[in-house]
Amino acid sequence: MRTKFSGILTLLLAFVVQVTFAQTQTVTGSVTDGDGLPIPGVNIIVKGTSTGTQSDFDGNYSIEASSEQTLVFKYIGYKTKEVKVGNQSTINVSLKVDTEELEAVTVTAYRGILKDSDVSSAISTVKSKSIEQVPIASVDQVLQGNVAGANIRVTSGQPGAAAQTIIRGRTSLSGNTQPLYVIDGVPVSEDNFRSLNANDIADISVLKDGAGAAAYGSRGAAGVILITTKRGKRNSGLKIQYRSLLGSSENPSSNVEMMNSRQLLTFQKNLLPGAQFGDGLSDAEIDALSTQNNTNWADILFRKGRTESHELVLQQGGENLSSYTSLQYFEQEGTTLRSKLQRFSFRNNLEGGNDKFSYGTNINLNYSKSNFVVDATRGGNTGGDLDNPFITPFVSLPYLNPYNPDGSLNKFGTFRSGAYLDQAQTQINYDGVAGFQNTPFIALNTAEFNTDVENELRIVGGGNLNYKFNDNWSIGGTLGLDYIQFQNLAIDAPESIRGFSRFATQPEILDDFNGGTQFENFFRDFSFNTNARISYNNLFDEKHKVYADVLTEYYYSNIQNGGFQAFGLNPKLPGSGSGFTDGAAFFDPDPENPTIDDRTYPFIPNAFSSEIEEALLSYFTTFGYSYDNKYGVDFTVRRDGSSRFNEDYRWGTFFSASGRWNIDREAFMDDVDFVSSLKLRASYGEAGNRSIGAGFYAGFQTLSGTPGYRNDLQISAASLADEQVQWETTKQTNIGVDFGLFDNKLTGAVDVYQKDTEDLFFARALSAAATGFTSTSTNVGDMRNSGVELQVSYDLFRQSSTSDWGVNIFFNGAYNENEVLNIENEAGFVEGGSSARIQEGRRAFTYFMQRWAGVDPANGQPLYLDAEGNLTTEYDRAANGVYVDKQFDPVFQGGFGTSVSWKNFSLDALFSYQYDTWKVNSTYALTEDASLAGLLNVNTSMLDSWQEPGDVTSMPGLQYGGLRGQAGDRYLEDASFLRLRNLTIAYNVDSEILEKTKVFSGARVYVQGTNLLTWTEWRGFDPEIGELGEFFNYPTPRVYSVGLDLTF
Amino acid sequence: MKKYLIIIFVSAFFISCEDNLDRIPVDSLVAETAYQNLEDLDQGLNGVYTGLNLNNTIEFNSIFTDNCKIGTNNGGQALNLLNQILNTQTNSAGIWNNRYQVANRANRILAASEIISYDVNDQSQVNQFENIIGQAYALRAFSHFEILTYYGEDLLDPTSLGIVYQTEVNQEGQPLRLTMGESIQAILDDLDLAESLVSNNQTNKSLVTQDFITFVRARLALYTGDYPEAQARATDIINNYTLANQTQYQAMFSGTDRTEVIFAYEARQGFNRNIANLWIFTGTGGNFVGMSNELFDELAAAGDVRFAVNFNPDSDLGAGEIGINKYPGSGGQFINDFKVMRASEAYLIRAEAYARQNELILAADDVQAVKNARSGSSAPSAAYTSANEALRAILSERRLELCFEGHRYIDIKRYRLDLNEGLERDPRDCEGNIPCNIPVNDRRWTFPIPQGELNANTNIQQNPEWL
Repeated sequence: MRTKFSGILTLLLAFVVQVTFAQTQTVTGSVTDGDGLPIPGVNIIVKGTSTGTQSDFDGNYSIEASSEQTLVFKYIGYKTKEVKVGNQSTINVSLKVDTEELEAVTVTAYRGILKDSDVSSAISTVKSKSIEQVPIASVDQVLQGNVAGANIRVTSGQPGAAAQTIIRGRTSLSGNTQPLYVIDGVPVSEDNFRSLNANDIADISVLKDGAGAAAYGSRGAAGVILITTKRGKRNSGLKIQYRSLLGSSENPSSNVEMMNSRQLLTFQKNLLPGAQFGDGLSDAEIDALSTQNNTNWADILFRKGRTESHELVLQQGGENLSSYTSLQYFEQEGTTLRSKLQRFSFRNNLEGGNDKFSYGTNINLNYSKSNFVVDATRGGNTGGDLDNPFITPFVSLPYLNPYNPDGSLNKFGTFRSGAYLDQAQTQINYDGVAGFQNTPFIALNTAEFNTDVENELRIVGGGNLNYKFNDNWSIGGTLGLDYIQFQNLAIDAPESIRGFSRFATQPEILDDFNGGTQFENFFRDFSFNTNARISYNNLFDEKHKVYADVLTEYYYSNIQNGGFQAFGLNPKLPGSGSGFTDGAAFFDPDPENPTIDDRTYPFIPNAFSSEIEEALLSYFTTFGYSYDNKYGVDFTVRRDGSSRFNEDYRWGTFFSASGRWNIDREAFMDDVDFVSSLKLRASYGEAGNRSIGAGFYAGFQTLSGTPGYRNDLQISAASLADEQVQWETTKQTNIGVDFGLFDNKLTGAVDVYQKDTEDLFFARALSAAATGFTSTSTNVGDMRNSGVELQVSYDLFRQSSTSDWGVNIFFNGAYNENEVLNIENEAGFVEGGSSARIQEGRRAFTYFMQRWAGVDPANGQPLYLDAEGNLTTEYDRAANGVYVDKQFDPVFQGGFGTSVSWKNFSLDALFSYQYDTWKVNSTYALTEDASLAGLLNVNTSMLDSWQEPGDVTSMPGLQYGGLRGQAGDRYLEDASFLRLRNLTIAYNVDSEILEKTKVFSGARVYVQGTNLLTWTEWRGFDPEIGELGEFFNYPTPRVYSVGLDLTF
Repeated sequence: MKKYLIIIFVSAFFISCEDNLDRIPVDSLVAETAYQNLEDLDQGLNGVYTGLNLNNTIEFNSIFTDNCKIGTNNGGQALNLLNQILNTQTNSAGIWNNRYQVANRANRILAASEIISYDVNDQSQVNQFENIIGQAYALRAFSHFEILTYYGEDLLDPTSLGIVYQTEVNQEGQPLRLTMGESIQAILDDLDLAESLVSNNQTNKSLVTQDFITFVRARLALYTGDYPEAQARATDIINNYTLANQTQYQAMFSGTDRTEVIFAYEARQGFNRNIANLWIFTGTGGNFVGMSNELFDELAAAGDVRFAVNFNPDSDLGAGEIGINKYPGSGGQFINDFKVMRASEAYLIRAEAYARQNELILAADDVQAVKNARSGSSAPSAAYTSANEALRAILSERRLELCFEGHRYIDIKRYRLDLNEGLERDPRDCEGNIPCNIPVNDRRWTFPIPQGELNANTNIQQNPEWL
């Protein structure tokens, strides 16, 4: 169409304008693209005249021009090229793709969508393609491996579990280290994303440097993640899309070899000192028993979890209105009994208005139901809870029979597992039924009878208005809210082991009363964020572009929490208050002896209620200037006042400055053909962290008023507050280069940064003798993160009308060096859990341990090194410990992958990796604990225990008992990993076939594998789960899925 | 229209509700406004009691010593104590931090007492006021006395290192230690003040009474070598209390009998220190720390009510289980008062004071009084032939009478130089790689100043053994 029109135009011009020059000559040639393919329809004009022609179908042209004149080659989508004729009669030109016109865009803080070339700060963008239809219910998890410099760690395999995200190294030691999440301009709680539908996301911008962070002031120090959801297109017809996903998840391999029945019983009998079950058995009995029962408890407690997702998307746009609506039902079962997430989510994004006035609204309603198990991260659990299903594959005794004589699954236990006092199994052993040996049955029992459900309602919504007075002035405003409400219902049923063993020490109570407890918790977190804006922008002399925005913003959050716990449940009225035992009910163990007042009131319910309020008021401005699209500077100044701090210390000012130089637009680059785009960026910015781990009222010396001694009211100071406390401040310098080479086949960015966190909020040691407190938390420390990031993508082949193949490979990697500069502590260090310390001059959470040195062959005793490196048998971490130069936070991490397409098939693979990250493998340590080997199953490595002088082994003599508490660095393991995070093979049904159906306009089917393969040295289910130490955590599952997308 | 829009918009823009930033905690009080009247002050006093956590002395004195062994269901619990680890980093900070926190709480209400308002012309209000601050002084004295007992360099040498005596509310500071003599005097000064202020009508044994003050004087005098004073103050107590008979004794530990109690740290449902939890999994049953075989044998040999009170008859002795049952509670809830001061201890304080003054017959009579009350008999007193024999008998009686009540470690510490005996566990009690003894001259007989204090306070002097 366009070609035809241009042709007519040219013809007209040729008729109307008669041009003749004395020394004209005919110039011919061809016009090609970067690949040498001819471009038809290129307008070729003699500069300064109206003489022109067009290239023909083969890209050839012919035109009359004099040697003084210049030919201009113009074609949409390509850079215009000018060539002086001179004495050439043949001019062949190659046009370069105009990256400016095809250029990608980036969503920025408060300034909306900018062309990549106009961005002066370090921002990584993740497109919807990487996020959609992945069978992971929490969007933050999905980002793993996709963003250079973002360390995203999954914390649990529970469906919907949130990830821990740390951008460019930890910026806080006791406060929040997670970035601020902003969805369509609304800052939202980062606690969990299980209710949100990731398919709604159009793209995600990760603001990594100081310039991005400063715009969010006291909330931006840990980085900012901007999520933009999809919108309908104006002037588009109704598009209906149905997408579904079906999947199955399973646990990865435990990588630990536990003993089988025969091994364990023989080990108890022959090797383990003391009297255990195995000692009382003859070889024949052991033989019989291990033939009879050799239970793999993982088979009993784990399952293949089902994933199912159905989604309907409706999009439509008129001239003045567009709409995007999605509905999704998502259901995912965990890999163990009871673990499950179900959610229903709805979104509508509406945009309307005209050139003068525009508006948009987003409404996102989500309801989810999570069924939790007793895993290591739930509530106050430790991982060592005996009803944790992930403890069972390790510790459960293989010689126990999981089935009742009638073939049904035994969910209570047996005489042998300690659940009964007698062989006939008539009298419950109240001590033993909740004991170690009964572990697998306790886990089954809890999964079967007990409940831990959270129903969450989450509403994220907002709206924005923009009014343009003229081309230069406009005003606007946004209002957004994030509303989270959940109800937690946790029931230990009266008939369950946990339910009745509350009275294990006095089971007589159960003769008269019911056991069991019911806990309900109602939580509501409501926050809103509103801002108003005046904007100005102008372009002077076609080259000087200026803009300035002035904004004010107010944020308010209110958290309400309340609930109760009631005791003694009537099994006939499960879950109902009618079944609660009256709190006034009492038990008198010997009513006939009234002189001893020993009544107890075990059924008094607990009730609780609390409220937190927070407000944040900000004034800020962003302004900038750019010259000829080649140079640009941007500034932000933001002043925040937070209710968290004392009146005199509540205001802070944060600013940033950043600049860019678009080198590719310089004249001297015109001849550098292989460079499509090249930009140098530099930024400096300061941001704060107001979530400093001191709660919401850090600036107050608060006193507790809860009842105390004798249940009477009391007033006391539970901690010593420093009323001058303020936010932590992060100052970051970033220098980066964005490049696109060889027609943007090779694109990428390199960034180096240094990020200093000052006024780290941390405990400062106090003299207890002087103050009564051992520490006060205040702004004391400094820490530095510095690093390099690289992000590249290379199109090996591009799929086109002439090429069936498209191959892209991409890589991102980040190196981050962390150093604690100062912690204002005489000792120079603070303990940080799992034997890691925060020590000046070292990476945060560097392990300080006494070194394990194996086993003395002479006597089987464990050996250690002292601080000087000499062998010793004494374990004393304080005296003999050293920094082992290993830390928890990974030093290198990132991702890489490929995207291959051939005809209608495509294959996408994403790998993620972390390197140089260390964790204490407490799970493995427990499997090698000789003191537990009488009660629990143990590792086959225990078979190699030292037995007689001369034995050279790494396993100490069993007579030394349990050595877990004195392990030193024995179980400090490398948790580095490389993981095939996602692999998708898809087929897009051919458009010709679709046209014939007259129903579908698009159809895609695919198979997908998530967490398919993991390469690691870690001895356990999953190297990624667990912070500092790992103790029976819920591993990330492997998920196989198939999906179907249909567009009508 | 446009004009109005702009006006509305601009005014909305600059409505700067900075007052919105004043958000006061909903769930807690704020220091500036917490103390207004006598009732607030009384609640502050209850905060001092609430802060006191005496479990750490019970725990240390039982598990660290020969009164305990590793329990049959131990999965790693209390191993540091069973292994007798005591150094600047391990097991040394609990008592220090808690007792100084109690002193701080007392100081806070003493400071608040100067700003609260009450009617100075109303005698009942004045009495109430004095009774409150008197108890605060007494608790401050008691806390410092305990710190002195564990951390003082040498209780019998007034020139040795004493403790920091905390009398003010401080935000920071790096104080030096007083001498032992100065420390003792500071405690006595607080006790004098307390004695002058605490109401004589105060008889609730869960609170500080005049007898509480007398009892602290008796212990302090005994520990620091003022035997005539110890003898006199113990006599004051003995004159006011009778020893519990066997029924009462049993009811004292399983129920609420307070016949011979001078001060009990009261436990109630809702506020309970759960003492039994120091040794057993009170949720599910099972011992991670058991009674030592040696103590079991001694209790069995004595054959009186104390055996039944201390030993859990449900124990599987064949499997090596010896359950501690001094704080059984009922209904699975283990609600038990800690009987901090009892008349029988006053008898044994006086017996020791006599013995150390070579009044061996009187000493024997006091020991026998306790024995007879426990066995329900009226056997004649033993005849000691030497002061050391008397001391040995008193030490043994203290063990039977006061086991699991926070005395054993301090007793051995105080007697060890007289008897030239340290701590010796029976070989059966050090199975499972548990150490068997602590020699007489071991440095662990004095607590080190904990590392946390050393880190924050560069002035404080460490005990010489720990340098």
